[in-house]
Amino acid sequence: MIRNWTKAALLGLALSTTAVAYAEAQGVLTIGRREDGTTFDPIATAQNIDFWVLSNVFDVLVRVDNKGEALVPGIAKSWDISPDGLTYTFLLRPAKFSDGTDLTAADVAYSLTRIRDNELSLWSDSYKIIKDMQTPDANTLVITLSGPSAPFLSTLAMPGASIVSKAAMEAMGEEAFAEMPVGSGAFMVDEWRRGDRVILKKNPNYWDADKVSLDGVEWRSIPDDNTRMLAVQAGELDAAIYVPFSRVDELKMDANLSVVADPSTREDHLLLNHSHPGLDNAKVREAIDYAIDKKAIVEAVTFNLGEIANSYIPKGALYHSDDNGARGFDPEKAKALLAEANVGPLSLTYLVDAGDQTAEQIAILVQQQLAAVGITVTLQKVDPSQTWDMLISGDYDMGVNYWTNDILDPDQKTTFVLGHDVNNNYMTNYKNDVVKDMVAAARLEMDPTKRAVLYAEIQKQAKSDVHWIDLYYSPFISVTRKGVENFGQNPLGRFWLEQTTKNY
Amino acid sequence: MHRYRFVLFRPLQFLPVLFGISVVTFVLVRLIPGDPARILLGTRATPTAIANIRAQYGLDEPMWTQYLYFLKNLGAGEMGKSTLYKIDVLRLIATRVEPTLALVLAGVVLALLIAVPFAAISARRQGTVADHTVRVLSTAGIGFPSFWLGAMLIILFSVKLDWLPVSGYGETLFDKLTHLVLPGLTIALSLSAVLTRSLRAGMVAGLQSDIATAARARGMSENIVFWRHVVPNALVPTINLLAINIGWLIGGTVVVESVFALPGLGQLMVRGIFSRDYMVVQGVALTFAVATVLINFVADIITVALDPRIEL
Repeated sequence: MIRNWTKAALLGLALSTTAVAYAEAQGVLTIGRREDGTTFDPIATAQNIDFWVLSNVFDVLVRVDNKGEALVPGIAKSWDISPDGLTYTFLLRPAKFSDGTDLTAADVAYSLTRIRDNELSLWSDSYKIIKDMQTPDANTLVITLSGPSAPFLSTLAMPGASIVSKAAMEAMGEEAFAEMPVGSGAFMVDEWRRGDRVILKKNPNYWDADKVSLDGVEWRSIPDDNTRMLAVQAGELDAAIYVPFSRVDELKMDANLSVVADPSTREDHLLLNHSHPGLDNAKVREAIDYAIDKKAIVEAVTFNLGEIANSYIPKGALYHSDDNGARGFDPEKAKALLAEANVGPLSLTYLVDAGDQTAEQIAILVQQQLAAVGITVTLQKVDPSQTWDMLISGDYDMGVNYWTNDILDPDQKTTFVLGHDVNNNYMTNYKNDVVKDMVAAARLEMDPTKRAVLYAEIQKQAKSDVHWIDLYYSPFISVTRKGVENFGQNPLGRFWLEQTTKNY
Repeated sequence: MHRYRFVLFRPLQFLPVLFGISVVTFVLVRLIPGDPARILLGTRATPTAIANIRAQYGLDEPMWTQYLYFLKNLGAGEMGKSTLYKIDVLRLIATRVEPTLALVLAGVVLALLIAVPFAAISARRQGTVADHTVRVLSTAGIGFPSFWLGAMLIILFSVKLDWLPVSGYGETLFDKLTHLVLPGLTIALSLSAVLTRSLRAGMVAGLQSDIATAARARGMSENIVFWRHVVPNALVPTINLLAINIGWLIGGTVVVESVFALPGLGQLMVRGIFSRDYMVVQGVALTFAVATVLINFVADIITVALDPRIEL
């Protein structure tokens, strides 16, 4: 009896393996990523994994262009800012939500009120500046601010400020909406198999639907980097993101694949705790900057796909300034500066995220390079979720961290890093009141030319004080099958899938 | 029927076990350093934003209050709201049970399909080249790490031969089965190594037992003696071995699910731990605990059914 059962099972197994049909609709782009999204409520998430899909499903008032250089019209066809910088008048284009209802100024006002006031919102602080919103007619939105703010327009392009359908949200309730949202983007959610994939289909009501070539998009979650790459190689995926730098050369050799490198705003830097003895001395910090061979780090960590960072504002980003007195690699000068500082033998603890290969690689390089100028570095491996608490409480000497911009304007990062606002200037305990005042002034300055001057000065001063040590900029790397055209993301991460085509 | 009395009384013992597990996982996950609110907010975390989220999810309350809420939720058929996914954990778990269950089943079935014939060959041809080959292979099978084995299977069967899908889980039954072959095989190859050794030992003992000798004396063919009398007896300890290993098996699915991108409980658990999503971690841990207890219970019933001498 057992024998019969065995036979039957073997037969079944053989049958099931002989033919596998990849039931895949033409024109549907499948993209592999590391993990599944968590919610479709735009205000309730701060994760890129969600943001990138929110941009497919929702519109924002203004968009960041593909190069990450300027704000371009989104749902707002045009806008006007009053001379005092307090009143913004947006003229909306005629648009419909995916359920066929009209998108009106009331929906935009509702969405912005939610991100400012709703208790689910992770972004309240950035929108508190909105004092009042008026909708004189269905296509006009007037926003009044409590004070002038140069970065305000940029914050409206953030996926958190996506425009949701007021009627749908109220009818469905927040929890149901977060799973089956109603937006006005190029695509709409067809099905969300949690933990597995999000299936989007083309939104026929999208205002620019004629230009959308794809019939749909499937965002599949494949946590293992290796499997994700193999799935593209086997043709199971059309594209995959989060390609490890180490795999790029090998993937480039596959004739069926194209590797795409898009500039990003990611900047990796070395935090220094200015409140600790030794590191409170600017000469010592300068010496460390001279002692670190950033080129070696770029080679080892990014396989030369990244480039040396010379400013906290990423290259190519708004108001980036090259002329800030960045230091080259000069161990002799480092030794001289240390002798001048006369602080005795230095022994520093370096906080490393355990299990983060990149962070560990950088740590070992920095340890060796500093040893060469006579600084002893002790590596302390800590669970990533714990490092933050230690950084905040100042329980460290140095550690690597990275930042990616959420908005086009440099104010958000600048305030966190140099604004003397929260988290002790991004945990560094850096203090310079001149910089503090310039950061505040740059936020209020509405003239772009004058702002450029201010930001250039801020970058120069921060670099001169060695507020932290800029290490490298790195691109987003993705891989596609040949025949997928115009697949990519802007430096803030937005995928322009409404322009992507699949020709097979 | 008195031999089956334990079926009625045993479940009563489950309650304190499950209560204990719920307390231990509840406390343990909260003792790991790290703050779910901070992880949710990422690098933009500000003290006020963190405080808001902690209040919203009741994370600012004392641990025992949080535990009482947890029990209260369980009473209402809920497991509490996930900080990461913002929905009730029971709903998250419900969609994830099937792939994991299917994976474990596929692993066990394939392992038995491999182990029984190999053990049979080995036991019936003791000391021959075939026997030694099987024994060497089963030792080697335990040694392969599943992340490596999984990747090798993908390269061979999906990339080179294009027979089977690389990753994910299907919608239709056929689709699901094709997606389960490689992950099931990854589990089966190491599990069958363990099972083969146990089965072989049982079969060797069985072939030399009085029952077998008596059966042969009655003129039964060696095949009938083996499959009807020796194999069922050898299966009894093997089923217990499987039940004991179920925790190890479930632990193994975590890696396999991640390699093959199966949307199961293991993946949910891993991400829950990384995000310090307390509700998810304790919910999945409790689900695994219930599963382990139930499986051992069922294994006991099967053991009693297979061997009339056993009383529990």
